[in-house]
Amino acid sequence: MTGRVIVITSGKGGVGKTTTSANIGTALAKEGYKVVLIDTDLGLRNLDLLLGLENRIVYTIVDVIEERCKLKQALVKDKKNPNLSLLAAAQTRDKSAVNAEQLKDICDKLKEKNDFVLIDCPAGIEQGFQNAVAGASEAIVVTTPEMSAIRDADRIIGLLEAKEEIKSYKLLLNRVRPNLIKSNDMMSVDDVVEILSCPLIGIIPEDTGIITSTNKGEPIVNDENSLAGKAYRNVAQRILGEEVPFLDLDEPKGFMAKIKNVFAKLKAKV
Amino acid sequence: MGLFSDIYNTVARFFRPQEEQEEGASKAVAANRLKLVLMQDRTNLTPKILEQMRGELIDLLSKYLEMDKELLELNFEQEGDQVALMLSIPVIRAKDEDEIEEALKASADEKTEPDEDSEEIVDEEESEDSETAEDAETETNSETEEPVEDSSEEEAPKPKRKRSKKVSHPEEMESHQQEESSQEVVFENTES
Repeated sequence: MTGRVIVITSGKGGVGKTTTSANIGTALAKEGYKVVLIDTDLGLRNLDLLLGLENRIVYTIVDVIEERCKLKQALVKDKKNPNLSLLAAAQTRDKSAVNAEQLKDICDKLKEKNDFVLIDCPAGIEQGFQNAVAGASEAIVVTTPEMSAIRDADRIIGLLEAKEEIKSYKLLLNRVRPNLIKSNDMMSVDDVVEILSCPLIGIIPEDTGIITSTNKGEPIVNDENSLAGKAYRNVAQRILGEEVPFLDLDEPKGFMAKIKNVFAKLKAKV
Repeated sequence: MGLFSDIYNTVARFFRPQEEQEEGASKAVAANRLKLVLMQDRTNLTPKILEQMRGELIDLLSKYLEMDKELLELNFEQEGDQVALMLSIPVIRAKDEDEIEEALKASADEKTEPDEDSEEIVDEEESEDSETAEDAETETNSETEEPVEDSSEEEAPKPKRKRSKKVSHPEEMESHQQEESSQEVVFENTES
């Protein structure tokens, strides 16, 4: 079997790369695919926290590279889903502990036995980014509808285009707030897609549930009632080649909803 | 209905006591998980090594004390630029002198058994432990009267006395001892 290797990147920090990696990985594993998540943010690892696996990590990617353990030993299985495993970043080393060749080698080995290898990329465009991208053939660029994030995403898209190995890249627009878009205080999905001229793979609404899910170490895709969870499940479906319409993030129509909407707009203006 | 329930919740929240809001909330879970993770990051000790350390500490202390091993807590805390190791042990009762002697004998026998190669390692362990062991002994002496009191109310919930083993400045330690109950015993450890 030859799995797909997808890097999740953004340029800017704090736009939700790690959250996206954890959720897409969990969603794909729930669909029955074998998934490995690789945290390549050496020195600043966090993917383990979002998956609630922080206490199970014994070996990291640096241990694998420096041959202190076998690759298989370093894979930490998810608590709920045996299809999902994590290769954690080392917390005590920096980005120079790994090079692009070594990471590519690990990806090549992992894709033989898994359907998906998802790489959580560090912020920035330096060595860490170059390492993370080395083994991937697809990319998901995460951005939010804010100027700085869009500018950085544009830079990343430029770098990805220059990479021969990257066959396709898609945009994931995170933390969208329909209220703000309606009151013309936030760039709309169409605006962002037009500016970046990049195909879209998902629109994730801002959801306070993300905070609680992070607190608990439980990806939000496991919450059937969450809108963001549903949006991430849809992204997984699209990765699998299904055509899923984008969620309608507009306020529900109805008398009460309209009143609520007025309040929301007032609040947004204040 | 959504609007009304939203308003109700917001209003109700104002009148709820702070503690009630905190209880069961995910932020408590987050804070606990973070503390553990930061401790690991700061000390670079893996969960496996911590578990081993915990086991060894239990072995050592159970020579002198009868304690609730399940509830034993081992935590690292940051105090300024120093890391302190906090050990909290729910003590059921202190052992009497005969019992302690017996336990020490038993462990001494264990140590003489292994062959010469491993003996060296054992010796190192002993020298490392000796300081703590002494402290522990003086502590048990000061508490020998207590089990009598306790035995009369054996059915009552297990007494939970906190002990801490920490690295800190002497002045801090004094204030620490005064603050908490007289049952608090502080081991001094110069290692960091």
